[in-house]
Amino acid sequence: MRDRTTPPRLLIVSDDADELVRAIHGASYAWRLEIVGDLELAGAALAGADVWALDADAVGTDAIPWVRRARAVPGIVWQRTPSDAGELNAYRAGARGVHGAADDCLGAIAQLLDDVARSPQRTEESDAFPELTRDIIETMNSAVWVVDEDARIRFANPTAAAIVGMDADELVGLPVTHFFRTGAREDVPILQAIDHGVRLRGTEAVLTRDDGRVVPIGLSCAPLMGTEAGRGAVVIFQDLTEIKQLEQQVLQAEKMASIGQLAAGVAHEINNPMGFIHANLCQLTEYTADLGRVWERVESLRKAAGGERVDPQALRAAATELDTIVDEVDAAFLLDDFGKAIHESLDGSERIRTIVQDLRAFSHQDTAERAMTDVNKALDSTANIVWTMMKHAVKLVKNYGEIPPIQAFPVPLKQVFMNLMVNAYQAIEERAVLDPTHRGEIRLRTEVADGGVRVTVVDNGCGMAADVLPRIFDPFYTTKEVGVGTGLGLSTSYNLVERHGGRLDVESIEGQGASFIVWVPIEAPL
Amino acid sequence: MTAPPVVLLVDDEPHILSSLSRSLRREGWTLRTADGPTAALEILRSEAVMLIVSDQKMPDGNGLDLLAAAGACRPGIRRVLLTGWPEMLTAGELDAAGIDAVLPKPWEDTVLKETLRSLL
Repeated sequence: MRDRTTPPRLLIVSDDADELVRAIHGASYAWRLEIVGDLELAGAALAGADVWALDADAVGTDAIPWVRRARAVPGIVWQRTPSDAGELNAYRAGARGVHGAADDCLGAIAQLLDDVARSPQRTEESDAFPELTRDIIETMNSAVWVVDEDARIRFANPTAAAIVGMDADELVGLPVTHFFRTGAREDVPILQAIDHGVRLRGTEAVLTRDDGRVVPIGLSCAPLMGTEAGRGAVVIFQDLTEIKQLEQQVLQAEKMASIGQLAAGVAHEINNPMGFIHANLCQLTEYTADLGRVWERVESLRKAAGGERVDPQALRAAATELDTIVDEVDAAFLLDDFGKAIHESLDGSERIRTIVQDLRAFSHQDTAERAMTDVNKALDSTANIVWTMMKHAVKLVKNYGEIPPIQAFPVPLKQVFMNLMVNAYQAIEERAVLDPTHRGEIRLRTEVADGGVRVTVVDNGCGMAADVLPRIFDPFYTTKEVGVGTGLGLSTSYNLVERHGGRLDVESIEGQGASFIVWVPIEAPL
Repeated sequence: MTAPPVVLLVDDEPHILSSLSRSLRREGWTLRTADGPTAALEILRSEAVMLIVSDQKMPDGNGLDLLAAAGACRPGIRRVLLTGWPEMLTAGELDAAGIDAVLPKPWEDTVLKETLRSLL
């Protein structure tokens, strides 16, 4: 706790803090600076700090876990290179702000220090506590409801009123079910908390406003015991709309990155049939011209054979001409080959159609709705499209079991399969660099297991070391070269499988390959 | 009368071989086809191939390597590469494999015929 007469202490975690320090001195802030160049030292220095600023560019992928550990002390992330995903993760980990420009950092730090100075821990005047508590509740950026045992709202702060789009006074007396219209009573988490005295932390829910707008919220809920009002609960929630939008953007960006990798393979697959369809059409134009010449002679022959008086000499001449042209253009061959060329071209156009259909499945935006999904079909269409990029290097072995349809989000599920297969392919490519004679193989297996469907993607690529395995699902963790991976593929996959209430596991032996195991329940969890 | 020139067409896609043969059937050449470098090299060893047209990306090897090997096997052979991505290849790579012409995929029938005629 800081003595108010001494200047506040700012911990800067950066190996290149000059710009920030110059800005602080330029703005004449009377802060005591402690500059630490690495995260290990930063942990120890945190104890004495009032506020911290972490240079994300300097510390890289370890930033997020550090922010998570440091969240008890307010701080901001200084991120000179903008990244939506990085920003999102920093906020999630507990950063109070993410700023690019040094000046913005200063403003945010000054604001945090103001907040710290006004916070209740900093005051000894305990008499003022109830009033202070009210001040905090009225000004805090989270929504607060106090609900009674009948689940009616007894108190709402201004933020809560703003999120639901009503005045705080109007809110009092309304049942919470007014805002949670979907599903049965047991589907409303707040009611669970009230009915069973359950404590909720960070549960996601969807709130419906009076104007019909739905707002995704993250809520915490604790039962109130022994109050005069009897049982009830205090509910704190945040509007997650922006975070959800950011998440959606990251997901879409990740999907597009994978599709970019696929594009070359797909283009090659389409180009081959295009090549022979085009050549066949040119050839058929010639065939038609040749057959046209035959038809001209047929017409002449008919003319010579018709009429009132047939001239046998003219008839014979016409027949000879027809014979000559039939031989010249090789009419028998033309007729036979005409059919073959059409048949082959149809086969080619069918192949193009299949590729486009498989590809289209990925261009859909994700929907929030689960749908009955045939996992074998989803896996197979994904495998077909992904295989186009790797067919020259990889043998694909499919072993699909008999599995029931499951309630799933079809597009995310396909994206998981695509990420895992692209990942497997990259591992095989990496092994091929060391051993060019190595024959790549990806095996896909589906089966029913533990009340769910299990999908296994096995590759014989380079594998991963035991010390790498625990980190591969972390965001931005990548062992690939710059430009090859975003470091989000596996962490995105992990989140998408989790969203299904499922699991994503990995097993690997370095140098020999890896297995990724997706398990999703058949029945959607509540 | 001299025997007609032997032209070898190589592609892993049978329909491509079929459409190439269709286009060239009236040229008076003896056409041979192979579905990849392995089969192509067998034909090269046993027959006096004068011109080889090969796809670039095939499961059992690439066209550049095959055309380089064809030159070693049949000195003086004319070599044409058929590829969907001509811009991916450098002049150095083409020279090293002794390529006489590169044809794009999909190809124009007339360009194909004229190019091959000019090489024989």
